[in-house]
Amino acid sequence: MNKLKVLMLSMVLSLVSMATQAQTQNGGPQTIKIKTSAVCDMCKNTLEKAMAYEKGVKSSSLDVDSKILTVVFDNRKTDADKLKKAVTEAGYDADKLPAQERAYNKLDDCCKKDSKH
Amino acid sequence: MKSPIKNYTYYLLPVLLVILLVIPAAAQKLTGKVTDLTSPGEPVIGASVAWKGTTHATSTNASGDFILNFSDSLTSEIVVNYVGYDPQTINVKGKQSVLVVLNPKSTLKEVVVEGQQERFSSITPTNSQIITNRDLEKSACCNLAESFETNASVEVSTTDAVSGAKQIQMLGLDGAYTLLTTDNVPALQGLATPFRLNYLSGTFIESIDIIKGMGSVLNGYESISGQVNVKLKDPEKTERLYVNLYGNTQGKFDANVNIGAQVNKKWSTAILLHTAQLHHRSDRNKDGFMDLPLNSQYNIYNKWKYNSGYFVSEFGVNALREDRLGGQMDFKKGSEVYYGTTSETERISAYNKTSYTFDGKPYQSIGLISSASNHVFDSKYGNRIYDGNQQNANVRLIFQSIIGHTGHTYKTGLSYTYDNTEEKLGQTEFKRTEHVPGAFAEYIFNNSNNLTVVAGSRVDFHNLYGTVFSPRLNVKFDATKNTIFRVAAGKGFRVANPIAENTASLVSSRAFVFDNDLQPEEAWNVGGSFTQYFELANRPGAFITDYYYTSFTNQIIADMYTTHGQVRFSNLDGKSFAKSFQAELQYEVLKGFDVKAAYKYYDVQATYNGEQRHKPMIPEHRFFVNLGFATPFDKWRADLTTQYFGKMPLAVGDNTHGLEMAQNSKSYYVLNGQVSRAFKRLELYTGVENLLNYKQPSPIVDAGNPFGPNFDASMVWGPIAGRVVYAGLRFKID
Repeated sequence: MNKLKVLMLSMVLSLVSMATQAQTQNGGPQTIKIKTSAVCDMCKNTLEKAMAYEKGVKSSSLDVDSKILTVVFDNRKTDADKLKKAVTEAGYDADKLPAQERAYNKLDDCCKKDSKH
Repeated sequence: MKSPIKNYTYYLLPVLLVILLVIPAAAQKLTGKVTDLTSPGEPVIGASVAWKGTTHATSTNASGDFILNFSDSLTSEIVVNYVGYDPQTINVKGKQSVLVVLNPKSTLKEVVVEGQQERFSSITPTNSQIITNRDLEKSACCNLAESFETNASVEVSTTDAVSGAKQIQMLGLDGAYTLLTTDNVPALQGLATPFRLNYLSGTFIESIDIIKGMGSVLNGYESISGQVNVKLKDPEKTERLYVNLYGNTQGKFDANVNIGAQVNKKWSTAILLHTAQLHHRSDRNKDGFMDLPLNSQYNIYNKWKYNSGYFVSEFGVNALREDRLGGQMDFKKGSEVYYGTTSETERISAYNKTSYTFDGKPYQSIGLISSASNHVFDSKYGNRIYDGNQQNANVRLIFQSIIGHTGHTYKTGLSYTYDNTEEKLGQTEFKRTEHVPGAFAEYIFNNSNNLTVVAGSRVDFHNLYGTVFSPRLNVKFDATKNTIFRVAAGKGFRVANPIAENTASLVSSRAFVFDNDLQPEEAWNVGGSFTQYFELANRPGAFITDYYYTSFTNQIIADMYTTHGQVRFSNLDGKSFAKSFQAELQYEVLKGFDVKAAYKYYDVQATYNGEQRHKPMIPEHRFFVNLGFATPFDKWRADLTTQYFGKMPLAVGDNTHGLEMAQNSKSYYVLNGQVSRAFKRLELYTGVENLLNYKQPSPIVDAGNPFGPNFDASMVWGPIAGRVVYAGLRFKID
């Protein structure tokens, strides 16, 4: 009886986990929030444009006040690391990853997070 | 519920608290104010102020004031940043309060909506337009000539049906009256004029500023109709790699590679390479002549930039070689049987710009600009040999500061120009060596809100033509934030190069006849513009109209009217003027769908041998419509430009030796279109020029008899080649 319960429970659990895995594997849109160093409306445009040209990105939106970039993407085509790398390549910090220096230098002055020469 | 007393205490308490806190802390705080250089006294609100090297930052309040704690500082320098202004680093050692004056960016980035820039600047005192990089990508690659295709103010016309030379026109005047500068250094002047638009590849260019009418005296006395300033790629900001490949149905191929690198923290460099090749002979209008000359060009530009904050220095070297061969289909170099034109050009030029900004005085700077070039060409037009070489050197020292406060700023300096020109046309030689030291000053008045006055003048001491005085004035008045009036007036002076500016006539049977004692050209230009920005259904638009009047006190008149078979160059004896009117409307009709429409009217006349006549090849009426469509983030873009050219008078001699010749051209339309698709690093484009396939009927007069007395390939007023389809790709790594 007890064994049966355990078995059933484990079956249910594995089903659930398979289901979730299936869901993640079949993609469907997944959302990620990245804390960036963007500071102005122009950054919003730069970043959203950079995201629009990334493979697998469905949509993206930067909230300038909180500096949080929300990206909806297809996880069969890309992943969080690639997206964060793309953010750094656009000249902005992505969570703990620092911005790429040349890209940062290329930004319009208003887009530079305070001065860090 | 609230008594008045209670209300007071509500306010008083925090105020008292602040006072209590501030008094002892005063010594440890830096207070300051941030104001605008162009509107003195006007606070800059929301500017970011930070201690250099730290993340301790604050923003200025509604009166432009800010406070920083000294305890947060690492160094004694603060950094001030604001949208649309040049950032500033200021040493505040030993100071408790500072006044920071921010300088608006000269790059006019003030309005940026989805990567588009406002094309009519609202802040410059001159009537300026900008052709952005995005605009440049709309037109068929690959040199400066094509860059103006989507702009209404500057026209590009083919000078003749054989050599492929192209000229720009502004305010109804030849390109020679427009000052061409690269990064504000005069470039490609004098003998380089005939093919100069081919010498700057579109891929070298970051953006183009067009200033209509009289501009600043700082760049010399030569500009009369305006200035075209080409901003080349900035080594600090350009792509690390940029490749552009282009090909069209005429067999023309272009390849461009740009490489940008940050060598270390202070040095950066960019190498720009360009080649254009056309080795296919085609004659689609069946007149026995190639529609386009064969062409081979190699062009390299290397720029270096040093930036240490106070010191900024830029170096550039450009070298190019070009071979051209046009004419009858069977013409080969050296052929005596067939008619043809050949030209070989080698050019090398270099420049340096160094500026120093005074410590703690961001409004005060000193700059040294120097440039030098050597231009050599050998050319042959039929049996006529035209060879030449020119050496030019130019040095300018400019000091900039304020009088009392930033409402009164001034720029003053000294300049020296050396120019040696040697030309040989047939057996006749022309030589000229100029030494021109000069001095100039410009005063800029700016009241705090709506009036800017720029008054400048320069005096130059020309070794051949004596003292030249050039006064210039620009006034800008903002009636409201969106309504701007501008007035420009002034005098320009230049020494003409009659042959180089009229190479078209070399491609004809006309004899070149020169009067003795040709004098420099001198003209007054007065004009004004009205700009209205508006918003309709939440979409931005602009309406601009302008009128300019240029009146020559002397001009070298190229008279093709009076004597058949002759072009005679003489000093102006009578009146020569150009009236130019333009009205333009820009509006984003739907999101991503831009419309630009312009109408232009020209009246350009001169006295030819005692008779007042219209200058040949200038249409009275012109229309221009550009439709631009882009999906979000410019993934897809499509453009369609329509141009209408009205009738132009042709320079047909009064005695035509029995040949039937039209006195006027026909009016016609030219349509150009392009579609492009952008990916992350790659962009593909394809387009059509002259979609309607309009061709000027028999562009060459008496093409069957090129060595005869009636041959004339210079009366070109329309397209020669018909429809051209092109495609290409751009690949960029940022």
